Amino acid sequence: MTRPNDANSATPMVWLQDVTKHYGTVVALAEIDLEVRRSEFLTLLGPSGSGKTTILNLISGMVGPTAGRIWIDGLDITEMPPNKRGLGMVFQNYALMPHMTVFENIAFPLRVRKLESRVIRTKVAEVLELVRLPEVARRKPSELSGGQQQRIAIARCLVYNPAIILMDEPLGALDKKLREEMQLELKRLHASLDITALYVTHDQEEALTMSDRIVLLNDGRIEQMGTPDELYFHPRSLFSAEFLGDSNILGGTVEDTGPPVTISTAVGQCRCTRDCAFAENGTPVKVMVRPENVFMLPPGNPDEHPNKLPARMVDTITFGGVIKSYLRLADGSSMVVQELTRAGQSVPEAGSEVYVAWGAEDTIILPVEGRIETPAPPSR
Amino acid sequence: MADVNQRRVETLGGQPPARATVWAAWFMFFFLIAPSLIIIPMSFGDLNELYFPPRSLSLFLYREYFFESVWMETTFQSFKVAILSTLAGMFLGATAAYGIVRATFRGKKMLGALLLSPLFVPNIVIALGLYIYFARMGLQGTTFCLVLGHTLFVTPFVMVVVMAALRGVDPNLEAAAKTMGAGRIYTFRRVTLPLLRPAMVTGGLFAFLMSFDELVISFFLSGFGTQTLPVKMYDSIVLEISPVLSAISVLLTVLAFFVCVIITIFYNPDRRTRLRLARVAATDTEPLEK
Repeated sequence: MTRPNDANSATPMVWLQDVTKHYGTVVALAEIDLEVRRSEFLTLLGPSGSGKTTILNLISGMVGPTAGRIWIDGLDITEMPPNKRGLGMVFQNYALMPHMTVFENIAFPLRVRKLESRVIRTKVAEVLELVRLPEVARRKPSELSGGQQQRIAIARCLVYNPAIILMDEPLGALDKKLREEMQLELKRLHASLDITALYVTHDQEEALTMSDRIVLLNDGRIEQMGTPDELYFHPRSLFSAEFLGDSNILGGTVEDTGPPVTISTAVGQCRCTRDCAFAENGTPVKVMVRPENVFMLPPGNPDEHPNKLPARMVDTITFGGVIKSYLRLADGSSMVVQELTRAGQSVPEAGSEVYVAWGAEDTIILPVEGRIETPAPPSR
Repeated sequence: MADVNQRRVETLGGQPPARATVWAAWFMFFFLIAPSLIIIPMSFGDLNELYFPPRSLSLFLYREYFFESVWMETTFQSFKVAILSTLAGMFLGATAAYGIVRATFRGKKMLGALLLSPLFVPNIVIALGLYIYFARMGLQGTTFCLVLGHTLFVTPFVMVVVMAALRGVDPNLEAAAKTMGAGRIYTFRRVTLPLLRPAMVTGGLFAFLMSFDELVISFFLSGFGTQTLPVKMYDSIVLEISPVLSAISVLLTVLAFFVCVIITIFYNPDRRTRLRLARVAATDTEPLEK
């Protein structure tokens, strides 16, 4: 907000240039090329062992890359020691100094920078106000709850105004309610302070809620990169589709490249009106549809739908606001239907025969292996 | 209190010990401590002989110890050697522990074992080796070589204690300090060292006691005028069986007892954890937001 939007802002804040990292014989990262833009909130998402923490450690300088260069704000910092990089980092276990008071913890980076004690006092007070904990300055970290400790850790980061803040699953140790509160808090701070944030999580919901962009990692490679919308509505691989949100997946073969594209599966035909250039006649593919896009029709329903398959009800579970129905298709594969709950809603009994149906625009066609290389044009 | 103990046993997943076990434990404890206890009344005897029970009580033997210059000299020598070798051992032990726990390099395990090996080699072997070594260098019999020998002997004790403590210090704390701009030395001085202080104090006190009581190495390395208290005590047992020994033994026991009390105060993770948990429980009940 305060930075001028000049040509300089085109330089990425962080650039991992073809970075590879090996630990012994284990490949943690394989030729990653990743840019973090100025002022954005970028999330590294992936299962454990996918390399997200390795990326953070490379940027912070705790480990060095096996190959490739790392740039911060147009400066090659590959060989620079961690304490010269001017970054901020928030850890999952907070990493507050147990022998120092909250005040001394937050003052630490300022003392390292040899600021006057009067300036230190003002700055610490300001930042404590910012994280809404002005009254705890004299306590030890062990006297605070988990959520308070994490706020202090964030305050300790904000107080010296680093250009980039790295966050390694900072909310992982908090309970659900507190976590959601802190997500909003972090969003608020990011929006008001104009910082570049690089956030690591394995929680897809957290990633979808907080990020400007998500980098989905799988096995040391970038699986897909884009806005939360792009990743959710236009997954480019089976892995992306399954990692973000719930998904129903059927195997099939392209029968007609359409439009609409028609795929024959073991349980019937599916149609798709989305653009899928890679699909040629006879290509084996996967058909994916989100549970919230599927609806159920009573047996004997005569309506025509682009996708309509017979199914048998297995079970229904209510999750507060949503209700999930688990069904089995003719070939034994399963299908989940998710609807919003309403009072007095009736769902088909377990064992009853129904139809599941969805629109042709909700069908997503994915390659059986690998990913679609040309990005799908965003339709929303 | 019984309730608390009961709960502690339960959280550890064990059973409270059987009555017979408790009696056996107390019996063993008294068996071990009895010699130290018997010496206490003996030290208050007034004749120039060792006798139990003493026929009359007096402070004669203590006066003998405190006013006989040879005992005082050897006591000061012991303090000097113990303090110097403790300081050297703390410096070497702590830095070695830091390297072994935090650094990664080839042969780290081997080096760790080598540094701890004085713990496993019999003292008599160390003593003989050092004796020959220092004799050839012409240092045998000097305070300097005594301090060197004792440093070698006490360093592993400091190392073991500091290594254990360092493994309990979250490496993220050091990483956090570094990302905040602190250099290696600043980080060690302001973050790691304060967290290791209890372990350093404990290790140092242990080292001091070990060195102060050490006989075998001192016996080989000391010479005329550099005798330590244990060496002088041993000499007087062999030559004269002086009853002053009982008074000295009591004083040494008292010293050891106080050092152990200090160690318990400084190094009681259980007590700290309980206090911390109590405070967290108290703050957690307060609302986070106003």
